[in-house]
Amino acid sequence: MSEHSLDTLWLEERKRIDLIKQPLRGIAGVVLAFAVFMGLWWVFMDPRGWLRWYTPQYGYMYIRWLLIVAIWQAYIFNFWPFKRKWMEESHPLKKGIVLTFINFAITGLLIWGFYYYFFGKLAIPYFSWPELQKTGLSDFFSREYSSLAILMMAAIASWLSPIWPAAFENYPWHGLKQPAKGITVFCVTFLLTTYIFFICMHPHYRVLFYPWQEFTAAFPWWYDSFRTLSGNFNVGWIMCATVAVWLSEMTLEQYPFRLIKNQPWRGIGGFVFILLLALIFFFLFVFMQDVVWGVSVEGAKRLMAPDWRYLHAGELAILVLGVAMILFFYFDNWPRKFSTEVNILIRVAIIIVGTIVFHWLYYKVSPALLGTQAGYSHPQQFPMAPIILLINVLLYHNWFMDGWPGKRIKVEGSK
Amino acid sequence: MEEQNISRRSFVKGMALGTVVGYFASAGLSSTVFKKALLPKEKLEQVDIGEIKSLKLKVISETSWYDNNVFLNDVKGAGGLLVNQYTIPWTTEMVKSGYKGSNLGGFSTLIEAEFMDGTKKKFLLDSGWSSDWMEKRYKDEGVDEMLAKKQIEFLVQSHEHMDHFFGIQAVLKYNQNIPIYVPKGFYQEGFDLLKGKAFPEAKVKNDYPHKGTITVLDSSKVNVLYPGIALMTFDVPIILRVFGEQAFVFNVKDKGIVLVTGCCHMGIISYMEAVRKKVKGGEKIYAVQGGLHISPFEDWDPQYDDLILAFNKYGVQKIGANHCTGYITAEKMIKAGLPMVRGTARYMTKRDIYLGNGDELLIA
Ligand SMILES: [Fe+2]
Ligand SMILES: [Fe+2]
Repeated sequence: MSEHSLDTLWLEERKRIDLIKQPLRGIAGVVLAFAVFMGLWWVFMDPRGWLRWYTPQYGYMYIRWLLIVAIWQAYIFNFWPFKRKWMEESHPLKKGIVLTFINFAITGLLIWGFYYYFFGKLAIPYFSWPELQKTGLSDFFSREYSSLAILMMAAIASWLSPIWPAAFENYPWHGLKQPAKGITVFCVTFLLTTYIFFICMHPHYRVLFYPWQEFTAAFPWWYDSFRTLSGNFNVGWIMCATVAVWLSEMTLEQYPFRLIKNQPWRGIGGFVFILLLALIFFFLFVFMQDVVWGVSVEGAKRLMAPDWRYLHAGELAILVLGVAMILFFYFDNWPRKFSTEVNILIRVAIIIVGTIVFHWLYYKVSPALLGTQAGYSHPQQFPMAPIILLINVLLYHNWFMDGWPGKRIKVEGSK
Repeated sequence: MEEQNISRRSFVKGMALGTVVGYFASAGLSSTVFKKALLPKEKLEQVDIGEIKSLKLKVISETSWYDNNVFLNDVKGAGGLLVNQYTIPWTTEMVKSGYKGSNLGGFSTLIEAEFMDGTKKKFLLDSGWSSDWMEKRYKDEGVDEMLAKKQIEFLVQSHEHMDHFFGIQAVLKYNQNIPIYVPKGFYQEGFDLLKGKAFPEAKVKNDYPHKGTITVLDSSKVNVLYPGIALMTFDVPIILRVFGEQAFVFNVKDKGIVLVTGCCHMGIISYMEAVRKKVKGGEKIYAVQGGLHISPFEDWDPQYDDLILAFNKYGVQKIGANHCTGYITAEKMIKAGLPMVRGTARYMTKRDIYLGNGDELLIA
């Protein structure tokens, strides 16, 4: 940010030199990231692979948590406890291994330690696979139902958490030192996350279990307007919100709310803008489906079910984000030479075209390549899982490893 | 990455542009003009199928298998829900709750329609799974004699699933010439089984090759078989490598439309919507009978609650559900005030909250 900024992140401060020229750097970067993604997918997710966690919710739970933990590492804790000197001078490969290991370890610890054997055991059974199973529910559905709850915590957090460092510049805690700053922002954003979870997902669990859990959870407030009891309505728009945060941060360069000079107005402006953008995405994608497949029918199954249409709006949004991230990380967020408005318009056009191509490609090749179910609406065809795993790989590569070997850190004083 | 010297004016400009674009994006979407122009129009092409006087539906068997876990383990062990049903070694021994130790039962319904002139005709919907069990049930209900005396006009296979079809030997044993209707999507294995081929892996055989006519029906039109009696076919991909399902549509005088299904993999709401659009009088569905495929394994999803709540809005007056409807669904439907017809929980049907084996539904 400028000298007026209250707070800056390492990711904004680091200066990098290009080791390879474009477009080779971009293409090589995408190929490399995709290869790593395919390896991870086969080991952890692919129904024909090794661990086969893509059931799909169980694997998706890990993927969502890896993402939010990466955001915490880079955006909220600004890579604390690592010193700036270490971040600048360590070899990218070493940094990548250390930071990714921490990313995996925290994710595993939270899911197994916190959710399965602490929170789920002592407070709410639907946060724990073993606890749900104890109620007599089948192994498969115990795992799927608990995974959805745990992953939605991460999904909501990955929409809310980045807003603080990015739009609010950590105001009013910008003056604190790490880790006090990180812990404070983490607590505030996670408190909000928890409230939103209980408003948006807890009612889903009222109706999921038989009989309805009417003494512990409210009736889904969205039923009358949106014709479904399923939390998929919220899963869909919250996914759009996650996408909106990152689009506004990367593609739109926080435009126009960054033009507001004073905090907290700038942060508030950012929050409102992101929410509006999310809702526009959501309703636009739902409407596009109505046009293609006809208006959904209340109580119908699969493709014609209202709740699946909402979920699919989120799935379409994530395709957009995948394209926007590749443009940002590997093609230097091209173009940057015109005025901000023109740059943004050109980028948006590229992303629209890119998304159409990506959409066509994804549904064509994913059954063979990733072992997902053919068609659009089967529960085993769930693009959020593979695309967010790909995004995780992009973040590891570009946040943790500085985009090496395409780029590397320029240390002050060196040539 | 930013040039920060942006004037107040350009800020206002930016906000104004954003607001205008946002406004048109969202207002445009919700405007009815826009919706009218873009949304696909609903086509109503109702066929008059005629009328019958009354209808009698008898559940021969709705207990397709006896232990959900054994069934699910068979599927899981074979490689999951997409595996070909003719290659799965289904469990036929040592099942405590099973029939003579076998987990296999079957689905079959006997239908008797009375025409406007008072004459009556009988039809069979589906032939069950275990031929042992089906033969017992057919004998219990006198279907064996009806078949032998050629009193049953034809057999309709709702779809190719094992629990609706593999018991075919129990039907053909008494009448090898019975005409059969199958939905488009039947696999070659299905036709081979009719002709007498055995599939030892799946423990299914047919010692009485079929010699009558086989008619394949597709989804292009409402297939009227007799005045007031029609079949509708749906192109649905179904688990265990099955494709296509068909179900009955009756029009009973002074009552309305009566739908009789096997498994209803197309979804009961989709079925009722299709009938509303394609059959004269389809706006008023009087009764639904058969499997509704909601929670066959007693699992749950709020989407199924959506179905139950939506079901209420169709004004159906009698629901003779069973089979893959699921007991949880039946309980919930009763609670939701839907007119579920209760049964008697006899002949291996475990509970009386829906229409079970040997139970009858009369529409007159
Ligand atoms: Fe069935
Ligand atoms: Fe079936």
